[in-house]
Formats: sequence, structure tokens, C-alpha cells
Amino acid sequence: MLKGKLNSLIKILCIAAVLVVLAAAPYFLSQAYVMVLRQILVFAVLSLSWFFFSGITKYISLGSVAFVGTGIYFTSIYLYCMHQPKPLFPFLPFPVIVILAGLICFALAFAIGIISLRLRGIYFAIATFGIGQLVGGIFGWWQNVTRFVPINVPLPVQYTRDFNLQYYSVLTATVATFFIITILLRSKFGLALRMIGECEEAAAHTGVNTTLYKTLGFAISAFFMGLAGGSYTISFYSLNLNSVFTVDYSFLPPVMVLLGGVGTVYGSMIGPPLLILISEYLRQTIAGGYYQITYGVILVIIVLFAPNGIMGVIGKLKSAKLLKGKMVKTS
Amino acid sequence: MWEEVIVRGTVDGALYALIAVGLNLQYGVTKILNVAYGQFLLIGSLITAALFNLFGVNPIISLTVSAIGLLLLGFLVYPLVFRKIVLESKSTEEIEVRSLLICFGLLFTVSQVMTAIILRNPRLLTLSINFLKDVITVLGVKIELNRIVTTFISLIISMILYVMLRYTRIGLALRAASQEPTGAKIVGVNISRVHLISFCLSLLLASIAGSLASMINPYLTSAYASQYTFIALTIIVLGGAGSFIGSLVGGFLMGYIIQLVLKFEPLLAMPVVYIFLVAILIIRPKGLFGR
Repeated sequence: MLKGKLNSLIKILCIAAVLVVLAAAPYFLSQAYVMVLRQILVFAVLSLSWFFFSGITKYISLGSVAFVGTGIYFTSIYLYCMHQPKPLFPFLPFPVIVILAGLICFALAFAIGIISLRLRGIYFAIATFGIGQLVGGIFGWWQNVTRFVPINVPLPVQYTRDFNLQYYSVLTATVATFFIITILLRSKFGLALRMIGECEEAAAHTGVNTTLYKTLGFAISAFFMGLAGGSYTISFYSLNLNSVFTVDYSFLPPVMVLLGGVGTVYGSMIGPPLLILISEYLRQTIAGGYYQITYGVILVIIVLFAPNGIMGVIGKLKSAKLLKGKMVKTS
Repeated sequence: MWEEVIVRGTVDGALYALIAVGLNLQYGVTKILNVAYGQFLLIGSLITAALFNLFGVNPIISLTVSAIGLLLLGFLVYPLVFRKIVLESKSTEEIEVRSLLICFGLLFTVSQVMTAIILRNPRLLTLSINFLKDVITVLGVKIELNRIVTTFISLIISMILYVMLRYTRIGLALRAASQEPTGAKIVGVNISRVHLISFCLSLLLASIAGSLASMINPYLTSAYASQYTFIALTIIVLGGAGSFIGSLVGGFLMGYIIQLVLKFEPLLAMPVVYIFLVAILIIRPKGLFGR
């Protein structure tokens, strides 16, 4: 009992320490490092929200780009139109726009979920991948037909120059996502999602409305992806559809979650820093522009040799140690 | 206008059908949904384009070289990467999901390596080759001779594959392993060898398709190769997984549909493919010819 309390106290202290370090990072790190950190935080949100739905329910989604891209593109269009000489959209503070982007992704994902979540396994993966590509394609067509915004949407200078705003908006989104998802996972809602992941039929028989929970889970995870995209928008000077709707946003979250380990929240927090630091290091040393090779090779190696990721490897080591300790005791 | 859709759709459709048949063979037998198929196809086109642009080898001859090359690559890749998964996994679904993730890994790796090779060699920049560009008229539509040649080669290769699957012993084993893996094992089919053969055979088909694509597609790049993969994926879903005739008919159908959309709204061509993919998955996951 006391040990459990002590453990949770240590956990809280660790989280608080990490938060303080992250909040103070711009004051002791150079700008280049903070930019890498910002990218890590964005992908931490993405892999957390990917884990929240796909990791737990085992419905592998390969279409995260639909929501991240919509989040980024909506925010950039809104900011662009809001700061025109004749504003097309009413003025809103930046956080409100980001939350609005999240809500749009929530609605989009709810609609997509209703039609696609009746598929299972590989079919769901293919369908979500198709939807991800489809959303980007439709945006491209819309842009080309209406010319509502230029191909390269420039972002207002007051945002792109404010380095602190860029970092802290991403950090806020990360912290909010982490706490909300942790709370949701401990709630009845998280339990229902876990049950769906273990055995959907059994969950349905015990009275879980699986369709509702699946769709809602998918939509909530999309909300956070939209939030991540929206808060990341101002880190670019201008955006075009090719850079917004890249398949990286679909593939990297699953790779990161698998790398960390699908079992726990912490597993999905290990993946992003590790993968981004490795690829960033390789990009600056040997691989140059072809650093994406690392993603591919890492993905293949994990799926082949460590299907439970780094947390799985740690768990194995721990249980081996535990076994040793017991043997010592009995002898 | 309709003549053009029909002629160009047939030309494209024959190639799509060849790609889809190969991918379908791989998925049907081994349950590996190879999303990196287009990248393997690109290796075939790279070999053909390199031989033609650097040494002037006739692409119809170098087609066999690239085919043998990819066949050997298959013998290397399958035991190295996929055999472990097939042996370890408890259910078909697990094999499917894990190999899908592996294939995405291969997609990243191969496409980056290919991009690096292409960008380092300016003479391979487009991968397209200047071969038989004489224009002839079919049904009142002007079309290059090489497109007609590729159409016939694709059809002949597909027919050879069909005859092989239908009338030979190894074809029987492949069909058996695809329809009833457990039963096939019981009657003495060496499943792991059949898996290896189907994997390599479909890579061989990919390389032939790639060589043909380099003859007719002036913009062949890694991204374009992925488009071929997704068109083929849609065709498989449309025609039904494991159905040869389904892939053939679906290929031509997709050729006509894409040409039709290109006529009206070129930017919507790929979105329409994806709409088809998602819609068929939801409405009739078995496909048109699925059992």
C-alpha cells in the first residue's frame, strides 16, 4: 500500500520534472535544438493519439494524415484569410482556431468512422490509407478549382517570427493531450476500448456499445491529431498541399508506437524522441536527404525481432531478473 | 472522345491488369499484401531504362534480364524477411497485419534507395525510354506504337500465367494453397515452397510490368510507382482477392474509369481511385468476382 503510494509519487515527480525541463527548454537550448524538440513534441501527440485508438483497439489506422493534414491546412487557411486586408473570417485568438481545427477533425473522423469501422484487420488499414490519400486529393482539387487560397499559403509574419509562441503552442497541445488521454484511458471509456481490443464479441456481449465507443475513440484520437497539426502550423513560413499531406504523418505514428511498445502510454512516449533523434543524427552525418531509409529499416527490424517494442524488451529483461531473484530466495 | 477513352483505357488497363494479377497472386497465396510492389516494379524499369539508355539494349530483350534479376531478389527477400513472420504468427490475420507493416518498411527503404540511384545518374532521371515512338491510328485515335506493343505483351504474359495456374502441377499447388491452405498441406503440398514460388513469381511479373511501364510512362518516379500499387490494390479489391479473372476484368475497368476521369477533371483521377477503393471495401468487401 505504502509502496504503491510511493511509486505513484515518484511517477508524479518525474512527470513534473519533465514538464519543467520542457517548459524551460527555450532558455537553455539553442534554437536548432528547440526546433528538433518541437518536432518531437508534435510527433509525441500524434503517436499518443494513434496509440489511444489504434494501439488499444487494434484497428490499425494508416490514414492519420487525413486529420493532421486537415488540422494544418485549416489553420493555415484561417490565419491567412484572417489577416488579409479585407478579412474573410472573423478574428479569433490562435488557440481558439487550433481547437476549432481539432473539432473539425473530430467531425470528419466521426463521419469516416461510421462508414469504415465496420471493416476489420487489413481491410480497415487499407480503407483508412485510401481515405487519408483521398482527403489530400480532394483538397488539391478544391484548391485548383476555386483558387480560394494560393498554392503556397503564406502565414502571417507575426506568428512565424514569434519563436516562443511556436514552441509553447506545441508544448501546450502535447501536455493537454497527454493528460486528457491518460485520464480517458483510466476511465470507463478506456476500459471499453481495451475490451474491444481484447475481444470485440465479448465486449458486445457484456453490454458495451462497441460501434459507439469505436467511432467516438476514433474521433477523439483525430481531435488530438488535428490539435497537433493546428499548433504546428505556425512553425512554417508557407504551406502547400504536398508538404501538408505527406504520408509521413500516416506512417510515423504507427512506427513510433511500435518502436516504443504498444502496451502502455509510456511506450508511445519513447518512440518519437528516439526515432526523430536517430533520423536527425543520420541526416546530418551520413544519410543526407535519404534519412527516411532509417524509418523503413527500423520498422522492418521491430516487426521482425521485437513485436512488442522497447517496452517489451524491458519487460522481458525485468521478468528475467525477477525469475533470478526468486531462484536465489528459494535456494 | 469515347474512342479515345476506349483505346487509351485498353492500353492502360492491360498494364494495370498485369500489375494487379501479380499483386493478387502474392496476396492470395502468401497473404502478404505487398504495398511495396510498385517499388519492386520500379527496380524492373530501372534495369530496363539503364540497359537501354546506357547500352542501347532493346527493352523487349532486357525485359528478361530484369525479370531474372527480380526473381533472384525475391529468393533473397522472402526467406530473409517474411518466412519468420509466417512461422511465428498464430493466425492469418496476424500474418496479414505484420507483413503489411513490413511492406510499408520496405516501401520506405526501397523507394529512398531508388530515388538516390535515380538522382545520382542524370541519364536515368525519367526512367522512360525512347523506343518505337511512331504514331499509328487505331479506331481514329492517334497512339504510339510502343503502347500497342506493351498492351500485347501484358496480355500475353497474363495469358501465360493463366495457363500456368490452370493446367500445370505447380499452378494447381498455387491455387490449392490460396484456396485452402490447411487442406493443401494435408494432401502433401509443400506450403512454404509454394509461398516462396508465388512471392518470386509475382516479383517477376512486377519487373516485366516495370519494364513495360518504362516504355510508355514518361514520368516514372518512386511516387508514380506507388500510384501503380494503389491502382492495383483497388483492382484487387474490385475484382476480389484471389480471383485471376477478377483482376483482369478489374484492370481494364480501372483503365477506362481513369481515362474517363482524366478527360473531365485530371486532378480527380487518383481521388476517384481511392473513392472506389473505400466504397467497394464497404459495400462489397468480397469484390465483384470474390467467392
